[in-house]
Amino acid sequence: MRLNVGSWFASTKRECPICGRDASQGASAAAAVPIPIRHPAPKRALASLCGLCRQAIPWIVHPVCRVCGRAESCEDCIRRTQRSYAISRCAVRYTDAMKDWLALYKYRGNEGVETILAAMLAFALERLQAATSQASFPIITAVPLAPERLRERGFNQAERLACRLSEWYGMAYRPLLHRLRHTEKQSLKTRRSRVVDMRGNFAAVSAALFSGNIILLDDVYTTGSTLDECARVLRQASEPHAESRIYGLLWARS
Amino acid sequence: MKVVLYAVRAARGQKALISIDWETDRKYWNDRASEIVRLREEIPLGEGERMCRMLEEEWASETRSPAGKGLKEESGDRERAWRGAEEKQFVHGGWAERLVYHARSAGYAGEMERIKLREGAAAEPRLLEAAGRAAARLAGRSLLREEAQQLLDAELPGSSGVSAFAALQLAALLGAVQLTAAVAPDAVAAPASAGLRGWAERALRRARLLRGRGAGGRAQVLRCRRCGSADKLRRTDCAACGRQACAYCEACLTMGRSRECELLVIGLPTAGAALSVPVPAEAPLLPTRRQTATAPFPTSIPTASPAPVIRTASVPSHSKNIRQHLIKRWGLSPAQSDAAAQALAFLEAPRASKGRSFLLWAVTGAGKTEMIFPLLDSVLSRGGRALVATPRRDVVLELAPRLAKAFPDRNIAVLYGGSPDRWREGELTLATTHQLLRFQGAFDLVLIDELDAFPYHNDPMLHYAAAKCGKPDGRTVYLSATPPAALQREASRGRLAYARVPVRYHRYPLPVPARLKLPSVYQVLAKQTIPQRLLQPIRRSVDRGAQVFLFVPYVKQVEPMVRLLRNQAKNLGLPGNAIAGTSSPDEERGEKVVAFRDRTIQLLVTTTILERGVTIPRSDVFILDAHNSLFDAASLVQMAGRAGRSGDDPFGVVYYGAPEWTRSQRNSIRQIRTMNAAARRKGYLKAD
Repeated sequence: MRLNVGSWFASTKRECPICGRDASQGASAAAAVPIPIRHPAPKRALASLCGLCRQAIPWIVHPVCRVCGRAESCEDCIRRTQRSYAISRCAVRYTDAMKDWLALYKYRGNEGVETILAAMLAFALERLQAATSQASFPIITAVPLAPERLRERGFNQAERLACRLSEWYGMAYRPLLHRLRHTEKQSLKTRRSRVVDMRGNFAAVSAALFSGNIILLDDVYTTGSTLDECARVLRQASEPHAESRIYGLLWARS
Repeated sequence: MKVVLYAVRAARGQKALISIDWETDRKYWNDRASEIVRLREEIPLGEGERMCRMLEEEWASETRSPAGKGLKEESGDRERAWRGAEEKQFVHGGWAERLVYHARSAGYAGEMERIKLREGAAAEPRLLEAAGRAAARLAGRSLLREEAQQLLDAELPGSSGVSAFAALQLAALLGAVQLTAAVAPDAVAAPASAGLRGWAERALRRARLLRGRGAGGRAQVLRCRRCGSADKLRRTDCAACGRQACAYCEACLTMGRSRECELLVIGLPTAGAALSVPVPAEAPLLPTRRQTATAPFPTSIPTASPAPVIRTASVPSHSKNIRQHLIKRWGLSPAQSDAAAQALAFLEAPRASKGRSFLLWAVTGAGKTEMIFPLLDSVLSRGGRALVATPRRDVVLELAPRLAKAFPDRNIAVLYGGSPDRWREGELTLATTHQLLRFQGAFDLVLIDELDAFPYHNDPMLHYAAAKCGKPDGRTVYLSATPPAALQREASRGRLAYARVPVRYHRYPLPVPARLKLPSVYQVLAKQTIPQRLLQPIRRSVDRGAQVFLFVPYVKQVEPMVRLLRNQAKNLGLPGNAIAGTSSPDEERGEKVVAFRDRTIQLLVTTTILERGVTIPRSDVFILDAHNSLFDAASLVQMAGRAGRSGDDPFGVVYYGAPEWTRSQRNSIRQIRTMNAAARRKGYLKAD
């Protein structure tokens, strides 16, 4: 064993949680990319990314669709006549890079990425607060996973992310929904079958009588059918006269 | 996943076991055991394994000392006295209650169920056959549950109605595969059995056992059993087993997630053959599974299973004859065949005197690939299995047809991420390094190419994988032009057998790099002028019709350098589009290398990414910023090794361009000179 005195003094290497490269290298370049979040905790989390990864995040800073928060005008929201959720906001556009990031977490199971994704959602949450001019929401909940899928994956990504956000922003996380049916992966279906298949997939947790504003969190918004169906079930379960609104919070908008 | 924890008692003792398919176990033990108890609820795999181990330890210590004797000494505080009393009750109350006790202290409901033994439960020949086939297919592999399932789904026809789990579980009961948690504590060494030391050790272990239980488990180092890493584990909530701190391994995540409650299936080598004959009724009552599972890995590969009969090869015995044979059969040069003959002698020696590893130290362009053919042939012709592991996928793809041509009647499996041969059984396996994680104790010969190259470099996981994929009595041969310092030291101290090939196949000496005092690349780019001292030698190379490799240390310097050179294209006598650059993030790297090969590109600016593998017949090498710490002696030797590869142009030139003269530069030149001197001494060089 050779004694390497130099290593005692060397600055500790920081690995980028996404790409694993040294994040301390090119720190100056990284500092040039601003992090558009006010809350210090998620801001710190995103600061651990390397410059390249930080640049790769396609933030939706100015949503064009006032309803779903998409970065371009959105046919779906114009076409849809009935909507169970009030509005939704998304953190990023669902680009190929973002697909890889989500796959890293969801399918490969790298739970070290969780903090980063949650921190990115903090951006969407702050946009939602600005859009609704509300400082806080009392309850946050997540789109559930079917039990089989949950066992297979080991975790429910939406639930985990919601828990993280609830810690940062002082909201209460409540599991309000069950998933009844195990449908095939959403990403394999067409638009039409998504909307039809979604019916009857969810049920509210039996004792869930609630009121007030609820944030419903999911990872990706594609057609909004999952979000809309969950919101519909939640509204049905809530107290009939209470003024309750459901807001969608999504990590990515495709 | 969750498993059933159960215990059986038979004439020769008792045993605690876990099961992934309870029905199989019930049937198996029906006419072999006198008593069976199980926990009613299923518990996480890792926990189950831990409890099994604790139960076994307790039962073992009980048989050594009469019941309750050891407890008196330990009745210190009240809690311990209470526990001692409780334990005493179990000692007298029954062997099986311990199961309940452990389950409860780990926080489970711990309801015990006694299993009734049934009369005349028929053995299932179909299941036994499936287990035999599963064991044969899994032999030498180390697979996660999902991978094993995929492999078995292809192997076991769906119509037979035997589930993969049932087959696996029976194979495990018969001792042909090992089912363990993929991330598990480092096994504690078995206690010394006799003497004062044994007594003291037992006492200490027992004390730790008792203390540990109160704190909810002993403080043990967890380790990924697939990749051997212990420092890259992350504990998270797990919905699959319900534990809140179920650890998973981040080091080998790209190969599927290995975690505490995930099943790792380890097929014991050549166990399949033993199973293919129907198991007689008096099959070993208590299979060796637990013993093998608790042995420290990677040596946990059981040595009990007989190695395949290796026939003595019909290679001529006299060393001169071997050389002649090698030259004739494989077309090797004298230097190559001398080294290959040494390696062959090492492989065929019945007992290795200097360990099981051999280093084949061959200079760049020596023709390493040709030299591995006789080694592979030797092992294959004796009925063994061989593996060639190489760091990069493109090398695998390039090597595969050459191996197929050299060994046309052998079954070759080519493995890389997403390869179609994924589950193919090969006498000869060609794989990228990461694929080695999926094997354990499988090969008689493991050939590791370029072990100092990128993925092995500083990655203990891949070294672990390379070590565990060979059979316990198998041999490992390392191939390298620039072995790491540690190996060089071992070789020079005589602790590692090795052979050197100091000359290239064309028998001309290696080009010795010349020094070129230049400003650093940073300064060159800042000034936007290329010094004449660099331009002139490049011009000379271009004029003599050679292609030019220009190495720079950083990716970000590649494009600016290309632009700068293009401005000077006229002075270099090149069209602007014959100058290009490539680096690791470049998606068109493959195409650019092809263009460089067919001379569309004359000058290629690149980084260490192309230090190996790309061979251009007539080429010169310029290494800028050779003093940069990114270029160590090994990579300088490799880059210099790009020049003069062909017999038509053996005297390519190499320049180290740097403002300073560093130790790595001196070192690399010394290495090259040493090799040239050795070649001259042995008379390998072409007389001219």
